[in-house]
Amino acid sequence: MKREYIYTVLFTFVVSAVLTAILAGANAFFLPQIERNEELAEKRAILYVLNVPFADDSEVDTIFGESISEQNIDGLNVFTKYDEDGTAAGYAVPFQGSGLWGLIRGYMGIAADLSELLGIEFTDQNETPGLGSRIDEEWYKEQFRGIQLVDGEAVLTDDDGELLIDAITGATSTSNAVINIMRNSTASILSRLEGAL
Amino acid sequence: MMGEIKQAMRRNLWDENQVLRQILGICSILAVTNLMTNTLVMGLGLIFVISLSSLTISLLRSYIPHRVRMIVQVFIIAAYVILVDIFIKAQLPEISKALGPYVGLIITNCIIMGRAEAYAQKNPPFLAMIDGFFAGLGYMLVILAISFIRELLGFGTIFGFDVNFIGFQTWTIMVMPPAAFFIIGVMTWAASSMRLSRQTLQKPSPAPTAAGQQASR
Repeated sequence: MKREYIYTVLFTFVVSAVLTAILAGANAFFLPQIERNEELAEKRAILYVLNVPFADDSEVDTIFGESISEQNIDGLNVFTKYDEDGTAAGYAVPFQGSGLWGLIRGYMGIAADLSELLGIEFTDQNETPGLGSRIDEEWYKEQFRGIQLVDGEAVLTDDDGELLIDAITGATSTSNAVINIMRNSTASILSRLEGAL
Repeated sequence: MMGEIKQAMRRNLWDENQVLRQILGICSILAVTNLMTNTLVMGLGLIFVISLSSLTISLLRSYIPHRVRMIVQVFIIAAYVILVDIFIKAQLPEISKALGPYVGLIITNCIIMGRAEAYAQKNPPFLAMIDGFFAGLGYMLVILAISFIRELLGFGTIFGFDVNFIGFQTWTIMVMPPAAFFIIGVMTWAASSMRLSRQTLQKPSPAPTAAGQQASR
């Protein structure tokens, strides 16, 4: 009876050790590639929100290296885009907030004079596939380009109080969450940028 | 051997199809079947995991202590699922982003546990792998059929290609999880009534095969 227990414990232990070793190996093997994917996704997002065109992944590193520089402003990681004559053209700033199911993270591009949004992009989201996850679609994100920033806030409604951003059919909660995230994060980001620039 | 392979194929693709006959794996079906690309990746991932975990469990079947067999099965299944997840993250980052947490949830797909308990732990390795493979294939064919209907009517596309030439108004309900319920319901009904009518034709009617499905949903 006692030997049976020892065997059970030993067996479980050995199986978990072997499986863990295999997974650790696979993880170590693929990690560089996964990190590279994430870095590329991040850079693509930053270029996208600053409205910098690029043809494919091979160009991303070059264009990024030439025109973007990273700096820390008041605890924010700000990616500044410089024009050829050296003046700042816009800032890409990370934002985050809670969506329907989990954290939504992304970047927003803000014009150098802090007067309008240049664009937004989501880098992390766990919304419902096919519904909320459609915030990744071009038509939805493009709506945020050119949104005015007045008195430290994003103007997301017109004079009659109608939202300027079309929601996604069937994904009301995610659409509302994105609007809230944009309201809150533009306010806090703008106040910090204004203080520093 | 060939006979047994044919039998495993017939059993898993039709007679005891995991989705249409056993009503297993429904949760993942509701979630991923609104786009065919996601569905295909999910199906291939499941086939990989179920074949190899059935093989592994069958290889270890005489060593696994009975008391902890389900824990060990989950260990093995989870390890393969994490391998798939890592691989998709590295090689197919876009699809990994689209599938989100659902790849990890293959672990809880009751079809895998079901085949491990009902077949792999008492049959030789090669047959267990074949059985797992066809169980996964049976699942994939059904979910591809469901996603074909959902993507076509919900987005007007197939594998992302626009086929909506006539300006058809797409149905939002097809994008949402409940649509899968309706489609599975109709498909299950069709499959069952086909089976029933066949049974009444040939007498005496054969006793329904009971391949002890104990895994919970």
